[in-house]
Amino acid sequence: MNAILTLTNVTKSFQHKTAVNNVSFSIGQGEVVAILGPNGAGKTTTISMILGLLKPTAGEIRLFNLEPHEKQVREKIGTMLQEVSVMTGLKVREILQLIRSYYPKPLDLEELINLTGLTEQDLKTRAEKLSGGQKRRLSFALALAGNPELIIFDEPTVGMDITSRNRFWHTVRALTEQGKTIIFSTHYLQEADDAADRIFLFKDGSIVADGTPQQIKARISKQSVSFIVDPELSLEKLYLHSEIDDIYRKDNRVYVQSTNTDRVLELIFQEKIGARDIQIERGKLEEAFEQLTGNDKEAI
Amino acid sequence: MKVFQMQCKTEIIRVLRNRYFVFWSLVMPILFYYIFTNVVNKNAPDLAEWQAHYLMSMTVFSVMGSSMMTLGIRMVQERSQGWSTFIRITPLSDGVYFAAQMVGQSVIHAFSITIIFIAGALINDVSLTAAEWVMSGAWILLGSLPFLAIGTLVGMMKKVETAAGVSNVLYMVLAITGGLWMPLEIMPKMMQAIGKWLPSYNFGNGAWEIVRGNMPDWKNILVLIAYLVLFMLLSKYIRRKQEAV
Repeated sequence: MNAILTLTNVTKSFQHKTAVNNVSFSIGQGEVVAILGPNGAGKTTTISMILGLLKPTAGEIRLFNLEPHEKQVREKIGTMLQEVSVMTGLKVREILQLIRSYYPKPLDLEELINLTGLTEQDLKTRAEKLSGGQKRRLSFALALAGNPELIIFDEPTVGMDITSRNRFWHTVRALTEQGKTIIFSTHYLQEADDAADRIFLFKDGSIVADGTPQQIKARISKQSVSFIVDPELSLEKLYLHSEIDDIYRKDNRVYVQSTNTDRVLELIFQEKIGARDIQIERGKLEEAFEQLTGNDKEAI
Repeated sequence: MKVFQMQCKTEIIRVLRNRYFVFWSLVMPILFYYIFTNVVNKNAPDLAEWQAHYLMSMTVFSVMGSSMMTLGIRMVQERSQGWSTFIRITPLSDGVYFAAQMVGQSVIHAFSITIIFIAGALINDVSLTAAEWVMSGAWILLGSLPFLAIGTLVGMMKKVETAAGVSNVLYMVLAITGGLWMPLEIMPKMMQAIGKWLPSYNFGNGAWEIVRGNMPDWKNILVLIAYLVLFMLLSKYIRRKQEAV
């Protein structure tokens, strides 16, 4: 696969803290990548560096084999930033025409309207009079105006209602079918799981996991088999099996952690430990995710 | 080149749609002009000269204001609302963006000058020679440069409210002390002495000299250039300081 974005040992330090610490990854054409992590994990800083808005303190970023700030790079990327902004004094149509004029091969106005759900009414409205939802649609249209190959969204669905959210992801899927590469940041695991085919899990400025949603989920949510057993009985026999990750007792029950719960059941009967009231526990994904990435006290 | 034209056009449309601009830069100067030449001061000794003099004062007043305020406040707005950040990600180069703002602003000034001159000719039959009209218009267009530099300084402020407040006060103070509202000659000696060194007086005086059939004073030109250099250096210094953080 052709790498269109490569980060090599990228670090960004501000005066008092390191926001991004030694991050490396490479993204190929057509991938849909989610940068997942809680607030303050370094998602926005990483995106800002990719966009050339911030300079890395150390390391290298290459887009299409060029530096992020070069004009040829900017002609191929589109972006929707967290802070939605508009140019006052212009109607939506005028803003779109203006931004389209910056690019060598812009998307047709018609197509932009179809993709983003802007209405005739929206197009005639002055930017400063737009509602939050309309601004979001405009901002989405601006990201697509140059018909970019790589599209970067920073927390795209924050502040969107369910309908616009669905519509947004529907459009993103259509864009991936055209072979566009998409990177988006989010702090919702669900969203990353639904939309991305690869997830970077960020924590405290580093990537703690990089894989498909299945792999990430398997990593962060441990499954276990729990049962009641005579407390006198030693469970040592179970420890001998390598499939078992951990065994602990809680509320009179024994919990056996493993990625393969079927095998654990088999072992329980095989070793004849006399287990009763057997249950398979699926770790709650969101909980596990919060445990892995959360700083406990984070306000929700 | 197409991008540049489009950008200029956009800047011009935006200024013309700005109600503050239309009020402060067109309506107010023309209204003041009418009041101070037809309601008050009707018996000036040389009426024709006073009418031409005050027309220049008000045109200078208008262009000075839109240089300092329209440009500066918009810069702050665009930055605080994140638009500047978005523009940095597009292929539009900083140079084209800045140049288009300057050209757009100058076209707007040329427009203001024309409107106010026509108003003067209609209200008071101010009649100057063609050369005088063109020369004074050109002087006002070029003389606005130090004030555009002040505009970029205003544009570096963090909040729109601060930028609007500061530029408004500065605008009024410079207009009054520079003798744009009332001639400097009727003010106290101390004020006159200070006023002669302000950019606003030197800006106005060049135009006043032209309508009296003279050429602008060398001193006017030098003072304006000195201010331009000063403000540009200041703006460079501040930008460097802001970037360092």
